Amino acid sequence: MSLEILLIIAFGGALLTYLLGKLSSRVRDSFAVVVSLALAAFVAYFYGKPVEKTFYLGFLGLDLILRLNMLSWLFAITIAVIGALSVIFSLSYIRGKEKTDFYFFMMLLVNAAMLGIVLAGDLVTFYIFWEMMSWGAFLLISYNKGPALAAGMKYIIMSILGSMCFLFGMLSLSVSFDTLNIARIAPEITSASSAYVLFILIVFGIAFGIKNAVLPFHTWLPDAHSEAPAPFSAVLSGILIKMGTYGFLLVFYVIVGFKLFLGLGSGLLSFHTILCFLGVVTIIIPTFIAILQDDAKRLLAWSTVGQAGYIILGISFGTSLALAGGIFHFFNHALFKALLFFAIGAVEFRTRTRDLNSLGGLAEKMPIVFTTTFVGIFALIGVPLTSGFVSKWLIYKTLILEGSPFLAFFALAGTWGTILYSYKLIHNVFLGQLPEKYKDIQKSPLSMQVPLIILSLFIVLFGILPGIPLKVINTINTSLGFESLNVSLWGITSETGTLNTINILFGLLVAGIIVWLLFRLGARSVSVPQEDSYAAGAHVPKEKYHYTVEFYNPLVRMIRPYLRDVIDEFYYEIAASLRRVSDRVRRIYHGDIGYYVTYIILFLAMFIFIQLKWKPW
Amino acid sequence: MVVKIIQLIISPLLALVVGVFFLGLARKIMARIHRRYGPPLVQPVIDIIRLFYQKGVSHGTMFDLGVIFSLAGSILVVLFLPFGKICPLSNSGGLLVILYVMLIAPLSLALSGGQGANPNISIGISRKLILSLGYEVPLLLVVLTVMTHYKTISIVEIVSAQQSTTWAFISFPLFLSGLSYFLILPAILGIRPFDVSSAPQEISSGLMVEYGGKYLALATIEHAFVLFISISLFVNLFLGGASNLIIFFVKMLVVFVLGLFVNAVFPRFRIEQAIKYLWKWPTLLAFLGLIMSVIARR
Repeated sequence: MSLEILLIIAFGGALLTYLLGKLSSRVRDSFAVVVSLALAAFVAYFYGKPVEKTFYLGFLGLDLILRLNMLSWLFAITIAVIGALSVIFSLSYIRGKEKTDFYFFMMLLVNAAMLGIVLAGDLVTFYIFWEMMSWGAFLLISYNKGPALAAGMKYIIMSILGSMCFLFGMLSLSVSFDTLNIARIAPEITSASSAYVLFILIVFGIAFGIKNAVLPFHTWLPDAHSEAPAPFSAVLSGILIKMGTYGFLLVFYVIVGFKLFLGLGSGLLSFHTILCFLGVVTIIIPTFIAILQDDAKRLLAWSTVGQAGYIILGISFGTSLALAGGIFHFFNHALFKALLFFAIGAVEFRTRTRDLNSLGGLAEKMPIVFTTTFVGIFALIGVPLTSGFVSKWLIYKTLILEGSPFLAFFALAGTWGTILYSYKLIHNVFLGQLPEKYKDIQKSPLSMQVPLIILSLFIVLFGILPGIPLKVINTINTSLGFESLNVSLWGITSETGTLNTINILFGLLVAGIIVWLLFRLGARSVSVPQEDSYAAGAHVPKEKYHYTVEFYNPLVRMIRPYLRDVIDEFYYEIAASLRRVSDRVRRIYHGDIGYYVTYIILFLAMFIFIQLKWKPW
Repeated sequence: MVVKIIQLIISPLLALVVGVFFLGLARKIMARIHRRYGPPLVQPVIDIIRLFYQKGVSHGTMFDLGVIFSLAGSILVVLFLPFGKICPLSNSGGLLVILYVMLIAPLSLALSGGQGANPNISIGISRKLILSLGYEVPLLLVVLTVMTHYKTISIVEIVSAQQSTTWAFISFPLFLSGLSYFLILPAILGIRPFDVSSAPQEISSGLMVEYGGKYLALATIEHAFVLFISISLFVNLFLGGASNLIIFFVKMLVVFVLGLFVNAVFPRFRIEQAIKYLWKWPTLLAFLGLIMSVIARR
């Protein structure tokens, strides 16, 4: 069993799915599920087996290499699992739409390309898969036509800019070190000047920053995430943007190495501190913009930008704890954000809308979706006993103990903003009054419930036993040269503060049981409909009484003036002026032959004039 | 082990007794300030017992579960707080965990109320969440200042550091933070002038409007716990905790009564005014405190 076979299954499976779709959609569906599950199983099989293999010699004198280590394994397993779940979720979501063969082909292709990225052992291979992923994602984002086309265009333009930066950095590395093998660049770059290292970091930083939606490169993300089909939004938010995170880790800690990376500049002006501040800005502004949104998916999209800030903050702060927190948060975010996009997809599938102002009361109609959303929301906020808490705890702890309370403050304040929009999401969709038109809505289909249940089980499991992923992350940390953490199954032990999730679990369980017994001992309660107590039994017309529209109006009135997406407007301004300039240039090609003759005569006249005046020839 | 288990049982009970006593005391003191006689001190106890025997209305599973979870969450917070020498779960994550476990109670209550589908409830929740964003900004700054100053995230170590030197409230950079905490205490407790989310005359007590019977009883107990938690957090962070229970409760009593005196005479803020106030003076003080302590640390 080797890595090529894994990739052959991934790509071949995608192509075969497309071809099988021409025969029968039922066969295609089951084949797509089998392929994606098989990939997850194969990746899991590679756990703890580092492989490195040159699979193609002599591409312009550069070897193409595949390699697998703990870092790429963690990303690969996340890709494979989220990818498989999104394929399962797609089964009923996409049924009846047009071009379903193409849809499944693209889904599997993007997953395969992402697997290729994390398995790449040299930058050429990385780049090839990177481009496949970018273009595949473009096609999927634009799948729904209409506004999705504009969103896709915005995405692909920014993505191409990122790729250009990547190509530029890659060429420069190739010229300087005569190799693009990641393992061979790493020892040689230590001899490079710090200006060159800074250049490499900035060039690759832009390339990966665009994918990871770090401010000021985030503008493609809200449009793309909200317009893409829901299962692909989950892939986009859960893993595709995390390829940027992987790139950051690769460049910062594998290629450049942490000594060089942390040693650039000094004090507040050092490279990694500036990145930390960028991370904090990426947390705080998008979090508050998310509060303003009324479209459920757009809200989640802005939340993704905000959560990506925590990851950037963690990995660029550069201590062992912070790095562990950053990587763990990437993993958690993949789980809970995929879950939330699936949940909103399931709601949209039944109600045909994702407008937070017109939904409500779906908890009784879709109990599974509600319960899993509940878990996802708690993980997003970072309530203890969900995995989202542990990663944030790691980041905050190191920020406080290393003496950066301001960074910690903004990161923590972001959490309280998160509470506001998370509550708005769950309240406006699932709680409150059920609108008349959704009275006979059906439960969501099984193929949508399964991914939701699996993801929420993972979230709770890793919240109670964070040691399972932390053990893997600890291996990554040590392989990148950081000191090892004292990880136990239920937390982290150290002399500066211990985390014990088992104690928290038992505390909550025992307290919960006692309160529940107290609750049972009290007098029985009667279940009544909403109008009963609100209207005190009197007749009221059946309208919406429940307050959901402009839920945080007093706050929004205060903060909205400060939360314009200035960067987006700036980019649009650039685009508009480019268009104006191009329009002027276009007018040269008038189409009338007389104008062209005039151009030729004027051009010749210019040459004759120059020759007569200065006699250069 | 046995001592630990006894502590685990006894600390929520103590918190319950003190919290309910404070509820009664608050009504009595407010009444005396308003030149009324006021209800007897044990009135909340009588109310809670009576409510348990009354029939309540339910609006669904989340409505029930939310109330249960919120009280359980509050009990869990108490286990993390040292009072006197007792701190059952001192070694499970420190102040950061306390900050996050403190979220369980209001979130569950909000989710429970959300299923009540009463417009007054949603307005109450919306105001409560906005208000909590308002007071969390200075509160986080305050907590971070304390953690930065004592270079630890463990609340037990913060208390013992104060006992070996002096109270944080009277030491230099930290008294700014202490003052800030005291200024936002009424907002955390949700008493006037910050009772926007439970304004009885405006939105029929907001979140509480659909609760009756045992729901109201549990919610009242939860409120008693919240009283206990926020005041004892102040005592632990700024008044040096205490070496025994009596002193600890005396300190709590002083803080609580002082808070009541200040706030018994204020009318209610609008929510915007509350946010503006919270993000102005307390935040400024807390921010100054944090800057000072960062400079002092360098």
